[in-house]
Amino acid sequence: MRAFNMQNVKILATGIFMGLAFCSQVQAGEITVYSALEEDEIADYLAVAKKSLPDIEINVLRLSTGDLGARVIAESANPQADVIWGFAVTNMADKKILSQLEPYKAVNSESLPAQYRAEDDSWFAATGYMGALCVNTAVLESKKLPMPKSWSDLTNPVYKGEVVMPNPASSGTGYLQVAAIIQGAGEEAGWKLIDEMDDNMAQYTSSGSKPCKMARAGEYAIGASLSFVAMKSVEMGYPVSMVIPSDWAGYELEASGLLAGSKNKEDAKKFLDWTLSQEAAELYTKYKAIITIPGSKPSEMATAAGLPENLSEVLYPVDFAKSAKERPEILKKWSATTTK
Amino acid sequence: MSSAVAQQWFKNSQLVGDKLLVTSAVFFPLIGLCIFFCYPLFLVAGKSLQLADGTYGIANYINVLKSPGIVKAVCNSMVLSVSTTAFCLFFGFAVAFALQRSGIGGKRYLKGALSLPLLAPSLVQALGLLFLLGRNGLVHKWTGWDIEIYGFWGLLIANILYGLPQAILIIEAALRQSDARYYEAAEILGASKWKQFFDITLPNAKFGILSAGFVVFTVTITDFGNAAVIGGNYKVLATEIYSQVVGQMNFGMGAVIGILLLLPTLIAVYIERVASQKQFGGSSESAIPVSTNFYAKRDVPLGVFVHTIASIAVLVVMTVIMASFIKLWPYRMTFTLANYNITLSGGYTPLWTSLLVSVEAAVLGVVFLFALAFSMKRIPPKLAKLVYLLAVLPVGVPGLVLGISYVLAFNVSDNMLGMLYGSSFLIALCNFYHYHSQGFLTMITGVRAVPPALEETVSCFGGGNVRILRDAVLPFMGPTIISVFFFIFMRSMVTLSAVIFLISSKVSVAAVSVMRLDEAGFTSQAAAFSTCIMITVILAMGLMNSLIYLYSISGAGKEASSDQQGIEKRGLARMVDRTYCWSST
Repeated sequence: MRAFNMQNVKILATGIFMGLAFCSQVQAGEITVYSALEEDEIADYLAVAKKSLPDIEINVLRLSTGDLGARVIAESANPQADVIWGFAVTNMADKKILSQLEPYKAVNSESLPAQYRAEDDSWFAATGYMGALCVNTAVLESKKLPMPKSWSDLTNPVYKGEVVMPNPASSGTGYLQVAAIIQGAGEEAGWKLIDEMDDNMAQYTSSGSKPCKMARAGEYAIGASLSFVAMKSVEMGYPVSMVIPSDWAGYELEASGLLAGSKNKEDAKKFLDWTLSQEAAELYTKYKAIITIPGSKPSEMATAAGLPENLSEVLYPVDFAKSAKERPEILKKWSATTTK
Repeated sequence: MSSAVAQQWFKNSQLVGDKLLVTSAVFFPLIGLCIFFCYPLFLVAGKSLQLADGTYGIANYINVLKSPGIVKAVCNSMVLSVSTTAFCLFFGFAVAFALQRSGIGGKRYLKGALSLPLLAPSLVQALGLLFLLGRNGLVHKWTGWDIEIYGFWGLLIANILYGLPQAILIIEAALRQSDARYYEAAEILGASKWKQFFDITLPNAKFGILSAGFVVFTVTITDFGNAAVIGGNYKVLATEIYSQVVGQMNFGMGAVIGILLLLPTLIAVYIERVASQKQFGGSSESAIPVSTNFYAKRDVPLGVFVHTIASIAVLVVMTVIMASFIKLWPYRMTFTLANYNITLSGGYTPLWTSLLVSVEAAVLGVVFLFALAFSMKRIPPKLAKLVYLLAVLPVGVPGLVLGISYVLAFNVSDNMLGMLYGSSFLIALCNFYHYHSQGFLTMITGVRAVPPALEETVSCFGGGNVRILRDAVLPFMGPTIISVFFFIFMRSMVTLSAVIFLISSKVSVAAVSVMRLDEAGFTSQAAAFSTCIMITVILAMGLMNSLIYLYSISGAGKEASSDQQGIEKRGLARMVDRTYCWSST
């Protein structure tokens, strides 16, 4: 055991301090973007954005909505990012995040309908996603269950122990579903429906995509989840059908904004402008259920799901600021109503 | 005359060197604990007192205690942690005993198999259990048996698999040294094998068993990963933190639960008290190692038992590895390599970052932890008590809380610490301090097994702490040091919960890639990436093991044997040499 002689200590020390060399330096023409968009769409968008904005190096850190929110709040003393790109608007409207944004009127933002941007221009939403049911057709068949079409259908006792849904306290997806039901059906009827669904619910998961993954693996017949995961699962070949609930389709907008602590606001603004451009809108049609930019084609997904061209027919005009404010109350009531 | 002066000078300088050694052995690890553990945690404690409107008060604590479901979560967490601890101690002792004291076959395999849950990303264990025991899992398909894996039982299995290797790590360190003469004496006095076990073996391993119990209890109560995947509606405290911090961006409430979770570590105070009581025996300089001969009546049932436990761990991991070669589990069961073509941006780069980070964490960890454990006996007892508490505290901090505390502490622009933020070295530090307690307790259990008489002998011959360290402690501690090194290395390769807050757009690690692939819906690719991580870890460990082996050959000349006895003999032989040297001067 001569492992502790000076020579080795020196080698160790060198090795340890090599790690320090990884410290990054901010350069002009470089921006850091925090995004909750999906991995593969980011790659697609960036490939095009880099061609249109050749002078800007765009570094993206992709995190799930919850992790991203926690990260931005934790970093608030010394913000590291320039832009938040595609982040659930319910979270964006929370004052802990809102207070870190700097209002910026992005080019084209005035053409967005009023409900898709903040009054003071601190955020705007170019895209959005919808709540969707992932239904495993193989399980339905083997258990001889009917295909559900709406939230109300899920109260049918035949589905007992076959439905999974995200917990609204830990998942934004869960919250948008609960909020849509309550706002759509009204306070009283909404809570009654949630109570009745609770009898059939096998479990409430902590993540929003988990119910769909469970349904596609055949663990349960129905998973209340997101349009994105549902489409992905269909595409990958799982025996899954995506069902947009016909009664109240919950949805969430993906908001973007400029962080007040940005050290390169000029480039950050250029990038934000790009996310509202027609070029970007074109790309969104491949991935997004909801595109708010006027004049863009309806998305492939919306068409496939049989949604009308004018989405406002099915989308309930949610007041997101109110939704964010009421959250604690709704969550309290939710845990009192559900038994699991 | 001049030689007397020289001798006096030598003695003085040796004393100074001695003091310097012990002081720095305590000082640097302690400074590290203060900067990289206490300070971040202090900031979290501050957050727990900060209210939504920015003022300070204890309202968050009251809100947490009043919130519906918290009593349920506390009860669930307690029941789960106590049961997991009981099983892990029983299984862990059986395995450690089988490895150190019995004559069963396949010890190397056993050891490897049971450390699989440590080197597998948490997704692997979750997927493995689901693929096997889920409602649509293999067992259900083959037997038609409807198992309800979600909930208490699933969670218990998952937590046992995760806690067991950590229990084994510590208990093994306690059973490593032994003295056959106690057993011979007992034999002559007519004590039965059972009596010998209860009166010699168990009491001697008491400290290790208590420490292992403490570690398992605390890792279970703070674990979020298993609870999220397989817990179903069985709500525990860690899921509460997650839903407060990540679900509702409510730091104050999350911080409160994080602070409350530190309470169980108070058990450590009791363990420390037990530890300070003199344990009989231990081992001595002339100890005769207990023979590990095959003894059928004991070793056949024991062997069957521990191999069954190991098979479960292997089965879980193998299922996931198999699934990574399947087109679409469980619907299109055809072989494919396509899942290994990782489409994620960055590809396999994070794997190499992880490797660097993990080696840094393990090297730093071993040096600091060994220094700390070695000097515990050589500093004032009051200080030792404080050091002990600080050193075991990190295990009580959930990864999520640790990660956020690091952002709060190191994302600063106005001092030196800020330079670390965004670097891979900070990730290494975070990983080391995340697993500080387990490493420390293993080291200290190992140090306690070093024969005190041997240290005294070195001391009597005029050898200072430097010599005690080299001639008495190090030769005995070799295997323990190596297992602590690999423990930190393996965990650092795959841990996620804290690290997720420290990656940047430029520096990312392998565990994050697995999570990203899974989040993006590519479950099979996530399984494939996990398989690559596991293979990398195994290869790296193999490489390091052979380097150690080569080093021990070149270091010890013709005495190439690296087993316990060899090391022991070498240490003693060297000491005899030195004794000769001293008497001749």
